[in-house]
Amino acid sequence: MLLSPNAMGLRLRIGLYLTTGAIAAFLLLPILFIVLLSFGSSQWLVFPPPGWTLKWYGQFFSNADWMDAALASLKVAVLTTVCAVALGLPTAFALVRGKFPGREFFYALFTLPMIVPLVIIAVAVYALFLKLGYTGTLFSFVVSHVIVALPFTIISIINSLKLFDQSIEDAAVICGASRLQAVMKVTFPAIRPGMMAGALFAFLVSWDEVVLSVMMASPTLQTLPVKMWTTLRQDLTPVIAVASTLLIGLSVLVMLIAAVLRRRNPASA
Amino acid sequence: MAGQVKMAAIPPGSPANAGGGAARASAGSDSKAAPMKRDNQTALRWRGARNLIPALLFLSLFFLAPLIGLLLRGVLEPTPGLGNYEQLFANSAYARVLFNTFAVGGLVTLISLLLGFPLAWVITLVPRGWGRWLLSIVLLSMWTSLLARTYSWLVLLQATGVINKTLMALGIIDQPLEMVHNLTGVVIGMSYIMIPFIVLPLQATMAAIDPMVLQAGSICGASPWTNFFRVFLPLCRPGLFSGGLMVFVMSLGYYVTPALLGGAQNMMLPEFIVQQVQSFLNWGLASAAAALLIAITLALFYVYLKLQPESPVASSTAR
Repeated sequence: MLLSPNAMGLRLRIGLYLTTGAIAAFLLLPILFIVLLSFGSSQWLVFPPPGWTLKWYGQFFSNADWMDAALASLKVAVLTTVCAVALGLPTAFALVRGKFPGREFFYALFTLPMIVPLVIIAVAVYALFLKLGYTGTLFSFVVSHVIVALPFTIISIINSLKLFDQSIEDAAVICGASRLQAVMKVTFPAIRPGMMAGALFAFLVSWDEVVLSVMMASPTLQTLPVKMWTTLRQDLTPVIAVASTLLIGLSVLVMLIAAVLRRRNPASA
Repeated sequence: MAGQVKMAAIPPGSPANAGGGAARASAGSDSKAAPMKRDNQTALRWRGARNLIPALLFLSLFFLAPLIGLLLRGVLEPTPGLGNYEQLFANSAYARVLFNTFAVGGLVTLISLLLGFPLAWVITLVPRGWGRWLLSIVLLSMWTSLLARTYSWLVLLQATGVINKTLMALGIIDQPLEMVHNLTGVVIGMSYIMIPFIVLPLQATMAAIDPMVLQAGSICGASPWTNFFRVFLPLCRPGLFSGGLMVFVMSLGYYVTPALLGGAQNMMLPEFIVQQVQSFLNWGLASAAAALLIAITLALFYVYLKLQPESPVASSTAR
């Protein structure tokens, strides 16, 4: 039988495994490559590099432009996370607990920003802020990022809220807690993994967002991806490899945290 | 508690037309007595809906309104009418953009399906530990910064890049291949990005296939190849279809990778939209192109949803 590897025939099996190995390597290649290059000594991105150095990291961290961009990225991502969770939490409660007509419709509405191409959201929001005179402000960055981060937050909170048995909360109410107390002391701790996962997604979406950010950016305010984008259009300096490595590093870190959370609460993420 | 019983007795289908009753809608409404039946009825119908208001307000103000505004500009600017849409299809340069968008989308979908299939298959075949490692690689590449990966391909594919140098050193080619700032670059870079979106749904589909069915096939005398093509592949079809459709839809709307790895010759719709807005301030044409892209995206997504009937909200109704 073809589906069990032992019965597959040696040549077919080896062929399949080699193909898969190559595809997995293909998936890993650009990521490893860029991390290695950020430590390479050659200005011209020669590989393998003639020597190893930290000078590109030095250049990155001593350059005010790059540091400002990294800091702006962090600021925007944190604010986006806070806003997305603050807006997503009541929404998830309404969609899971509420009994009202059109919940399907509202769910579709809230996930719409995941479906509409980013470029179109970017252009539309850009037009709005152009009219309001808000382009290039922190406000415009955060608002545009929240639009695309919100669906991720809502979905992961919905998932954990659906797993939580509301009769436990009701029990707390019967035992004399007010509804608010019960939600704060019983429900929130129980759905925390889902909230954390939602927050992590929001952070990651904002941290890595290019298209919206490029439209919102101004010479005085740009995030790391925007700075990378504009630099990339001039040359391929290894400093971009450093910035890329930092982006990769933070993504991996956030992913690991999410994995730990998932292990603690299998269905929350 | 008496109020609660009373309210439960109200038939859920009866019309709720109490003026202003929705304002009273609140999660705690069932603890109140029922001085006004109709208000409570409305409150019951809209229980918990108040929690939607913050996000709904946000989304209407910053997402829906701008989006509708944009779509309107497509038929209002520079002069009211369908002139922008006419241009989009009549002008051969613009029509070429449309053609490119679909050609790249189709090609990327095909390649990522071809590469994603064996990967998803092996993940289901190998022991769980190995499968988990392979899945982690897929997830890692999915969550790694898009810009970082695109930059990496830019460096890898350039004329003096590793790939060209290796191929030349091996004597396979004697002149560097032009793999970037053209169609090749876009297709390589985008297929790379899309593979995870094929592997994840496909692997889920494959894992759910009952091995007994395949065993039955082989017991009934099917050769491995027959079993593969007539039993296994048809069972994978839902995953192949939804993954492929998703990737196709996403490819049509991608901006970053085509803009960096592509050339001027093979512009796609998203880049075209940005160019019209930023370089030519031609909001009308850009909006018409955006409307077209949205229409195609939503139509395809509707098909995708039809293939996947499960909705996270619907399944939560039973409590």
